[in-house]
Amino acid sequence: MEWSVPDEPERFKASLQETEGSVSITSLTRDGIEVHIPETSVEAEDKPGRAIVRVGGTTKLAHIARTGDTWWVHIDGRAHEVVFHEQGRKASASEGSLRAPMPGTVLQVMAKEGQRVREGQHLMTLEAMKMEHKILAPKPGEITKVHFSEGDRADMGSSLVEIGD
Amino acid sequence: MSPEWMSDAPEKFSKVLVANRGEIAVRVLQASKEAGLSCVAVFSESDSSSLHVELADEAVLLEGDTLEMTYLNGNAIIEAARSTGADAIHPGYGFLSERAGFAREVESAGIRWIGPSAHAIETMGDKISARSLMIESGVPVIPGDQIPVEEGADHLGALASAAAKIGYPLLIKASAGGGGKGMRSVSVPKNLRSEFEAAAREASAAFGDGTVYIERLLTRARHVEIQVLCDSHGGAVHLNERDCSLQRRYQKVIEEAPSPAVTPRIREAMGEAAVTAARSVGYVGAGTVEFLLASNGEFYFLEMNTRIQVEHPVTEMTTGIDLVQKQFEVAAGLPLGITQQEVSQNGHSIEARVYAEDPSRGFLPSIGDLAVWRPPSGPGIRVDSGVREGDSVTIEFDPMLAKLIVHAPDRQSAIRRLDSALSSFVVLGVRTNIGFLRNALTHETFQSGSIDTDFLDSTDPSELRGPDPDRPTLVAVAASAQRLGMDRKQIAGTGDVDDHTGHQGDPFRTLGRTFP
Repeated sequence: MEWSVPDEPERFKASLQETEGSVSITSLTRDGIEVHIPETSVEAEDKPGRAIVRVGGTTKLAHIARTGDTWWVHIDGRAHEVVFHEQGRKASASEGSLRAPMPGTVLQVMAKEGQRVREGQHLMTLEAMKMEHKILAPKPGEITKVHFSEGDRADMGSSLVEIGD
Repeated sequence: MSPEWMSDAPEKFSKVLVANRGEIAVRVLQASKEAGLSCVAVFSESDSSSLHVELADEAVLLEGDTLEMTYLNGNAIIEAARSTGADAIHPGYGFLSERAGFAREVESAGIRWIGPSAHAIETMGDKISARSLMIESGVPVIPGDQIPVEEGADHLGALASAAAKIGYPLLIKASAGGGGKGMRSVSVPKNLRSEFEAAAREASAAFGDGTVYIERLLTRARHVEIQVLCDSHGGAVHLNERDCSLQRRYQKVIEEAPSPAVTPRIREAMGEAAVTAARSVGYVGAGTVEFLLASNGEFYFLEMNTRIQVEHPVTEMTTGIDLVQKQFEVAAGLPLGITQQEVSQNGHSIEARVYAEDPSRGFLPSIGDLAVWRPPSGPGIRVDSGVREGDSVTIEFDPMLAKLIVHAPDRQSAIRRLDSALSSFVVLGVRTNIGFLRNALTHETFQSGSIDTDFLDSTDPSELRGPDPDRPTLVAVAASAQRLGMDRKQIAGTGDVDDHTGHQGDPFRTLGRTFP
């Protein structure tokens, strides 16, 4: 089982040891390389969704919940996400593919297949919640595929435009 | 029966229908109950288990899939009032609150309209007529020429020549607009056409009216607004200012009272201008006059919002006046009962809008289920919210989940209190802007009180990103939580969750059960 944090390519693996309702980390690797972290242990509280986290010498309360493959952790006053991946599975979102960040209607399509675009170029306009959102090229390259035309509905996560090198 | 406090009122009512949803519906329904009024909610199918429905004495389903069939369906809402015997309608903000036609229909159905007259809504709702009325009344307006642009007509020639006369940067605004929809800034002539078309499209989608107009864009200005309160006996006071300069794409993010940029002299002049503006349309009820405050202390009328505002709580916290209760009193025909001299200003209040949006993805709306929803509480902390744990956040409605409002003796302690309250606001399952709010609030420019309306849009995003999370520790915590089975709702041995009521070991279910 591998772990990652959204928008970060690195993959983590953790070895754990459980004793009497408390889990401690015996080793943690990032992209195969051992990361030295302070002694960390986690213990579930009686109330669901709450855990006592001990990092080094300090004890903190964390709120924890899971939705799908994402673990949500609220600690030190901020919420974070950690995603787990079954081992051996390829990264799902292929690089260079722009996905709809939310369901919406495609209002404008500027990108044409075969066109070369620069980073930040306006490729498509998506409307959701009565606001227009510009879909911008995340990197320079050639448009290899445009999946939607004006007026189409795009579901969340569907690939909008693909950019090759 | 109408409540005791209404006994001397000429226009008594006893049951209020709230034609809205979300936090403002909850706010008004709670105020109705406090005031001894019965209350009715309306809801769309997807809202059938929403908090506002749960809170109301009665609730009426508005059938249909679109907003036009539900929360924007004036006929169905008036019919709901008739069928439940509601004799007053409170529109909240957004939806039908600023539709003069609806106000008129409500009145002619013999139902009290808790808001200003249709005439006032109409005059102030049309930015062009509002502007001319302000010029007549001697209220300062933004300098520059304005040319209304009708949709459909061959507009580009007229637009380009007006734009050249006004000069860049300029602002294209939907005449019927609000909330940043249909509003675009244009800094160079070559973007005029595309931004105009986008504004017109947004305006017709959001307001059913694609008319836009252009005006000079004042940079480095603050957005300061005055709350006014008028009764039907000629009484009118202002309740000081709110500063809403912290905006992103014209959407307010953080609001405060008093404004760090407003001196007693500006407050008095602006307050007087706001009361003049309200009087010029014979305004009755609670309203807000928005101004742009330039860095030299000059201010200009922007628009008047003829409804309760999202950010009304900061005024309530600092003046001690319950604005929704005042709306009820004025609608019942009672006098205000306060003079300008009696309006006080106590301490400092700041409101932060908690949105389901993702700052790391250009603030796109986020969706999901509120797996954990733990609003903060404590002295000087108020949360106005329309959601609860377990609710789904969809893209159907506005992404605002809640407003977190704090009150403290002075601005610095209010900022600290808000930051601390935000840090204990636990929302899991849906990405929110809570972290971003903390970053903006603690940014030195906000701390020093010297921001302008361009602050968020012009500041390097890295300055608003917040500390890098300790990723190895996060992974360690998540992996441990998974090992501990924390994704199972209950810790083993504490009983199963009843899937009907959501309660553990519901005795009534157990009692009624027969075992084979």
